[in-house]
Amino acid sequence: MKFIYDTENKLHRFGRMLLITAVSLITLIYIWWIAAIIINTPAIPTPDLVWAALLRLFEEGDLQTGLSMWDHMAASLKRFLGGFALAFVVAVPLGLLIGYSRFLDEFTKPMIEVLKPIAPIAWAPVLIFATTLTIGPILVVFVGIFFPLLYNTIFGVKKIESNLIDASKTLGATNGQIFYKVMLPCTTPFIMNGMRIGFGIGWMCIVAAEMIAPLGGGLGYFVSLQSVMSNWPSVFVGLIIISILGLLTTGIVDYAYRVIAKRTGME
Amino acid sequence: MSEYIELNNIRKVFKKDNKETVAIDDISLSIKKNELVSILGPSGCGKTTVLRMIAGLVEPTSGEVLVDNVKVIEPGSDRGMVFQDFALFPWRSVRKNIEFGMEVTGVPKEERIARVDKYLNLMGLENFADARVHELSGGMKQRVGLARAMVNNPKVVLMDEPFGALDAQTRNIMQAGLIRILDKTDQTIVFVTHSVDEAVFLSDRIVILTKRPATIKEIITVPWPRPRDRASPEFTALRKRILTELEKENVLN
Repeated sequence: MKFIYDTENKLHRFGRMLLITAVSLITLIYIWWIAAIIINTPAIPTPDLVWAALLRLFEEGDLQTGLSMWDHMAASLKRFLGGFALAFVVAVPLGLLIGYSRFLDEFTKPMIEVLKPIAPIAWAPVLIFATTLTIGPILVVFVGIFFPLLYNTIFGVKKIESNLIDASKTLGATNGQIFYKVMLPCTTPFIMNGMRIGFGIGWMCIVAAEMIAPLGGGLGYFVSLQSVMSNWPSVFVGLIIISILGLLTTGIVDYAYRVIAKRTGME
Repeated sequence: MSEYIELNNIRKVFKKDNKETVAIDDISLSIKKNELVSILGPSGCGKTTVLRMIAGLVEPTSGEVLVDNVKVIEPGSDRGMVFQDFALFPWRSVRKNIEFGMEVTGVPKEERIARVDKYLNLMGLENFADARVHELSGGMKQRVGLARAMVNNPKVVLMDEPFGALDAQTRNIMQAGLIRILDKTDQTIVFVTHSVDEAVFLSDRIVILTKRPATIKEIITVPWPRPRDRASPEFTALRKRILTELEKENVLN
């Protein structure tokens, strides 16, 4: 029997994608397994050991801190969302203003250009010391999400077609109405795109910041603690959870982006 | 008939790097109520600038524009505009696009629905009320653009090469459609185009501009009732005459 792949068939396309994904991930596990055997160090445990550790950790929790894996995940997600919320309320209005005003754009451009190349995690020691162990990591996420969100918003405002503004003026719209009814919807897909990029960076930031600020759990803290204890299979469990949660958070915003882009006809 | 739109000694000078470019040099023009006047001229002569001055989107350097005896100082919903690239709101449905003007000027919801329905009918868009802009053909998009401008009952509709982005066949259909709509609505229209054929087919009067700095070269009254026969000898003769006039204004000459 021959399997005929039909590019027109949605089910076939989905099935094909699923199959390729599964084979790809299984291959990754095998590469890891072979590498672990060849390199032969406790720091790289084989997948079976990690699987056993994963089952144990979800059942018993992390014995060092007494926290369950769910507690660690919740702690990281909470910080992440806190940093994101903060970045959103600051970067979006600021981006709209800068994009709208030529003077503000010229004035803030050097500042943004100077600050942009600094890896957000490089701020972690400063931010954590300057604030507290609780607030510091949230601010690191804030920095990570802030910049992509800010320049995508600025870019979005600049991309607004002047004809749309002219059209709304000739239809009797006031400046406030133009802002809410034209500029904001025009910019929304760009804001979403900034969020999409920011989420990826922000998630990396929170894990890294937690490794520096050991308070109240979190996946970064968990990984760092387990490596100090040389519990290498547990370290790998942490890495796997970080990957899955990262995929989920960026996946959600990616989906939202596509829905909004389609709804606003701005694809 | 009264003088409805008046351009009095309009001049527009653009300044850039201390260099002054006179775009429009002393244009005076009167347009009557219910008249369709088209503005014709060589590319880049400032046709659109004249239109945008009536809209209030561009301020004349000197001179003034009066619409119904009121001086134009800013854009307003009494002067609707139709754009060459449609300028529709892509995140809004057809109905919501047409409704935009009434929404921002605070027309009650029931009246908005009734008026939008009337224009959806007039434009043959009944079945596309909830469609998104990107689902429409070019001709349909411009019918939405026209409905969006006309639904506010403006004193004048300013059309900036409205059919310029459409293919020849759609263009002819749209011109015929515009004539049908004019039969029913008595709308005053100022129409910018670079198509002589279109101007002769549609206009009560044709204003021919010179190349930059633009002044009025000639105003031609087209006496025949609409709809007009493109193939008739008078039509062809007038077309040829205007083309010859425009040829003299060709920038390359």
